[in-house]
Amino acid sequence: MTEIHDAISSSPNGLRRRDFLKGAAVAVAGIGLLPQLALAQGAIVALVHTQAAGDNGPVDSMIAKLNAIAAERGFTPRIVYASDAATYETIFRTLGDAGAAVIVSTFNEVAEAFKALAPEYPDTKWIQLFGDPIEPSLPNVVTVSYDYYLGCYLSGLFGAMMSPLGKLGYIGGISLPPLNADANAIKAAMTTVKPDATLTVAFAGSFQDPAKGQEIATQMYKNGVDYIQTDSAATDAGIIAAANEIPGKLVSGISPAQYKLGPKSVAAIVSLDFGQSLYNEVAATLKDGWKGGHTKTGLGTGVIDFILSPVFVDQGDPALVAKAKEVWPKIEEARARILDGSLAVPFNTTL
Amino acid sequence: MIDFIVAVLRSGTPLVYVALAGMIAQRAGLWHLGLEGIMIIGCCATIIGIVLTGSYALAILIACVLCILASMLLWFVIEKLKANPIIAGLGLTGFGVGGTALAAQSIFGSQAAVTAPFGAPRLGDSFGAFASLSIFVAAMPAVVALLWVLLRRTRFGLQLAACGEHPFAARSLGIDPERIRLFALCVGGVLCAIGGAELASGSLQIFAQNMTAGRGFMGFAAVVFGAAHPVWTALAALFFSLVGAIGIRAQILFGDAVPHDLLLALPYLATVLGVWISGRLRGGAKGANGFSELRDY
Repeated sequence: MTEIHDAISSSPNGLRRRDFLKGAAVAVAGIGLLPQLALAQGAIVALVHTQAAGDNGPVDSMIAKLNAIAAERGFTPRIVYASDAATYETIFRTLGDAGAAVIVSTFNEVAEAFKALAPEYPDTKWIQLFGDPIEPSLPNVVTVSYDYYLGCYLSGLFGAMMSPLGKLGYIGGISLPPLNADANAIKAAMTTVKPDATLTVAFAGSFQDPAKGQEIATQMYKNGVDYIQTDSAATDAGIIAAANEIPGKLVSGISPAQYKLGPKSVAAIVSLDFGQSLYNEVAATLKDGWKGGHTKTGLGTGVIDFILSPVFVDQGDPALVAKAKEVWPKIEEARARILDGSLAVPFNTTL
Repeated sequence: MIDFIVAVLRSGTPLVYVALAGMIAQRAGLWHLGLEGIMIIGCCATIIGIVLTGSYALAILIACVLCILASMLLWFVIEKLKANPIIAGLGLTGFGVGGTALAAQSIFGSQAAVTAPFGAPRLGDSFGAFASLSIFVAAMPAVVALLWVLLRRTRFGLQLAACGEHPFAARSLGIDPERIRLFALCVGGVLCAIGGAELASGSLQIFAQNMTAGRGFMGFAAVVFGAAHPVWTALAALFFSLVGAIGIRAQILFGDAVPHDLLLALPYLATVLGVWISGRLRGGAKGANGFSELRDY
């Protein structure tokens, strides 16, 4: 009788159902204990990034700064890549169960999960970088927005002054409202320098497709564009590769890590230092009196700026470097006027 | 016009190589949904190989070996562990995408995408407007022709097709379908390695996580559209690239007059259209065993 039962409960490959169920139960129990094990190691500061690391930009910068502040303040860092929106809630809940002191994540796509879970984990401080304000605000959630378009405005001024014919390009990852606003800011700036200047806007459809970025940039350059502002994370590498192939073509990137990818082509960057912003916000949570709400970050905060590449100044075409140095005081002047409020930059999210 | 042809060849060549890998597997009776995973292994191994060895030939060799190993893993899971080939293929894709990200981070840290100091040899100035293309682009027509001869004009090609269409009949003639499929997947592994190498090092010299961005699945669609025929499959892959290049050009030319998202979706719309046309022409997709009415794995 037992033999018959064994024969029924065994698969053709010899795996007995009972053994399989026992193993599965042990595995499930182990997984259930994982948050408790993590808790035992000390306070956790977690970064849940929704774009892949290795982008030479925001994500890498945040990871580096998270590790830095964790080392300084004695936290245990946890870095989790959430590639799929369906996993957000599970990841945040697991971190909450593990007693995470601070959870940092990025972009509006995590807002719903934050709203749902933050009240359930009141002892955890939640930071959403690049997010809209949550209404009504939650006491343990801070959202941070960035006026990146102000940096793009300065890039538009610079590009229009650097391009002999006033032909500029903009390549974004995906057409999203903040990216559309960046493109519109460039357009608004360049027409103040050259009224007949043109901006060609294109999107790669992905923040992680350098081959597509190269394809688009090559076609733009062949069409006479002289200067492209990138806004597409890891896709930027392809745009810079395209600029490197045609002497005299320029790029404005998004991160200092891109200087080395195009010493002669990456003339400048519109820097959004996500890492510094993460550092600032996590450090703020440690201060007495911290409370949730919304923080707006723009020029003059150390997080957003338009920076001339020192590598380009050192290794770029001498004529282009001289031109860049010549026009730079005008960029500084525009920056000062934005900061003192005498220059208003339109925020337009419609292309 | 020449620039446009160059753009199509540049973006289409990786797709052609990967589609050819899927085509061979399809003829052997396997729906190869692991192309994406093996292709990204090829991308990653090529760039890491260049950085670590300083030799392009060694890097390609490493990429080929790793892609063959991944193909052998797929064969083992399907043939020996009797897993569903579609599920196994998708699993391999997940393994490839996740494994390469892990490998790049483990070796180089998480601070940057991996950039190689040089890439694939270029055709050079004697090729005029095509100078910037890599040697893999020039080799592509020859590879297609070679595969056509191999698959349509040799005893091995007929045995391969027999294993795909009527494995029991093939077995009755002393042919071992398992072994033939292993060989088909290994050849496909080499083609995926070349496709990945072309994507990562043909003109870019960089590996970024998930950089294949669905090209493996488009290659699989090209196999279906091209009816697993070497020439038609290659042309289908080039057609998808052509549509993609048109989408990019349309973005640049039409500006904001046409929604960017619609233009970006053109290659995928073309893929769906191609598969639909293929189904209408040939009476719809067959079962999971390729062309076969019989299951033999």
